[in-house]
Amino acid sequence: MIELIDITKDYEVGDETTSVLKGINLKIKDGEFVGILGSSGSGKSTLMHIMGLLDTPTRGKVLIDGRDASKLSDEKLSRLRNTYVGFVFQQFNLINKLTVLENVLLPALYAVEKLPFDPRDRALELLAKFGIYDKRDARPNKISGGQQQRTAIARALIMNPKIVFADEPTGNLDTKTGKDILKLLNNLNREFGVTVVIVTHEKDVAKTTKRQIFIRDGEIVQKYL
Amino acid sequence: MKNLFFLVSSSFDDFKRNKVRTFLTSLGIMIGVLSVVLLIAFGQGLKNYIKEQFESIGTNLVYVLPGRIVGEGGGFRDPGSLGAKFEEKDVLRLKKVENVDYVVPVFEKSVTVTAGANREISQLLASTHEIALALNLEPEIGNFFTKSDLEKRAKVAAIGPKLAEKLFGSKDNAYGKTIRVSNQSFKVIAVLKSKGGGALGGPNFDTITYIPYKTSLRINPDKKFYALYLRARTDTNIAQVKKDAEKVLLKTYDKDEFQVVEQTEFLNIITSIFSVLNGILIAIGSISLIVGGIGIMNIMYATVTERIKEIGIRRAIGATKKDILFQFLAQAIILSLSGGIIGLIFAFVIVFFVRQIFPAEINLISVIVAFFISSGIGIFFGVFPARRASNLVPIEAIRYE
Ligand SMILES: Nc1ncnc2c1ncn2[C@@H]1O[C@H](COP(=O)(O)OP(=O)(O)O)[C@@H](O)[C@H]1O
Ligand SMILES: [Mg+2]
Repeated sequence: MIELIDITKDYEVGDETTSVLKGINLKIKDGEFVGILGSSGSGKSTLMHIMGLLDTPTRGKVLIDGRDASKLSDEKLSRLRNTYVGFVFQQFNLINKLTVLENVLLPALYAVEKLPFDPRDRALELLAKFGIYDKRDARPNKISGGQQQRTAIARALIMNPKIVFADEPTGNLDTKTGKDILKLLNNLNREFGVTVVIVTHEKDVAKTTKRQIFIRDGEIVQKYL
Repeated sequence: MKNLFFLVSSSFDDFKRNKVRTFLTSLGIMIGVLSVVLLIAFGQGLKNYIKEQFESIGTNLVYVLPGRIVGEGGGFRDPGSLGAKFEEKDVLRLKKVENVDYVVPVFEKSVTVTAGANREISQLLASTHEIALALNLEPEIGNFFTKSDLEKRAKVAAIGPKLAEKLFGSKDNAYGKTIRVSNQSFKVIAVLKSKGGGALGGPNFDTITYIPYKTSLRINPDKKFYALYLRARTDTNIAQVKKDAEKVLLKTYDKDEFQVVEQTEFLNIITSIFSVLNGILIAIGSISLIVGGIGIMNIMYATVTERIKEIGIRRAIGATKKDILFQFLAQAIILSLSGGIIGLIFAFVIVFFVRQIFPAEINLISVIVAFFISSGIGIFFGVFPARRASNLVPIEAIRYE
């Protein structure tokens, strides 16, 4: 379970301080399927990075299963990012000099404990499931956007995370592929009980989730306008 | 460090992508290691060479020299004019010292030897027939002069092989011919086997002219000798022989007028002089290693900057600061170490060929030194860029374009 208490995020640009997040309180329980909806620039990505322990808030607390994330060492945070959280970034963030398979395997290389599965087998299984098995030796910049998105999702899943964050998962895709990806994330939640958080500015995308949270100018609002 | 193999292979992938850059960067370390290892090898070679020279004469040789040639501090002193000139009587007295096989008087002078139109500078050594036994001289052609040659004041000479070749074209040609030294004629009755030397300003044993000292009166009218060589019996206590010889000489000469020196003392002085010189050269050679290290640091900073986004991605999916640090440190070490290994291989090849003419030697120590220095340089100069990489803020790094 992830709990945010009074989260604020300020950026200093020149002499000015702008608040991107202005006191966010939010709870995401295990097994939920959540959509965070907000217009561009409202602070969704920033919020997602803070929830996923990739960024730190200026003020406020992030509790992971009740533990205060600000008290955790770099090793512990890295380990949580490695095992607890899976990220699917808006820009995919794949490493182009590695193959698709190597990209998917990358989190397993940073595993501290011995994994209860063979990472290679699992990676190939995920690639097969997502229909990109034959692209396993290709470089990410040589495959389509949808295939890159699937690679990114496979990478997010390889370590069996409890929660997956997907930032604009359909943003760079055509409608058909976008739908496939959403179905995939839905399945993940339904069949395997993985907590899924989708960040998007599209109402239609948010509608596919079980619970919607609306964000505007860095604040959670009751209705999306 | 969770996956050493992965770190190494990802470094090699990176090198493959930047072949020219990788080559140029490790070139600095390569040249540095090459020069340092070669300097050590040549220094060792020089020591081997000097040792061989001394051993070819025999290690159980004791020299009686005028004055204090070997100073208190261990260095050479100007022999100067002070000190004794030895006489035939001294030879007879020293022969009584226990465990001494031969005592030979030596008169030494640099002379010009002529044969027909050819002229060569040679070191003239006037002594008894026993000098051949004392210095392990073996004739290749003919026979060394004998006791009766000495007594009869025979005008004969035994010459080194190089001198023979220079004067007569070949060793065989020299045999039986006449040479002229200081307006006296000598018949060449022996050409000696090669003993080497002469390189690097050392004495060249192969251009010496040996004559019976009684024949050389015109050259050495008052029968005085610069030195006496004592050949001790094999496996005797040289120190005791030295002491006994000193005791005998003290009856005739003052303490300061002579000195008894053994081979190993000369050897030690010469070796220590060369060691200091070699050390200075190695220190100079090490500068190129430092320059190479700076090259590595420079490239590693560039690599880190190029890969900021990748570092951010790795951090986002679970890499710790330490993982990133090790990744870049490993790359710097591999870069430096492979330069070092290639330098070492080149050094082996060069030494292999040089050994045909000079006993240069790459010992285990220089191999170990090369490994430690090149990995040490990788660590030292790689740690700064690697620290920069590991201290990047993940979210800023992943956004970097
Ligand atoms: N590193 C940064 N420095 C300054 N401003 C930033 C930084 N990151 C994001 N912002 C600003 O914060 C606001 C919210 O950004 P973001 O969370 O990416 O919004 P969203 O994902 O909802 O489009 C934007 O106005 C953006 O310009
Ligand atoms: Mg965004």
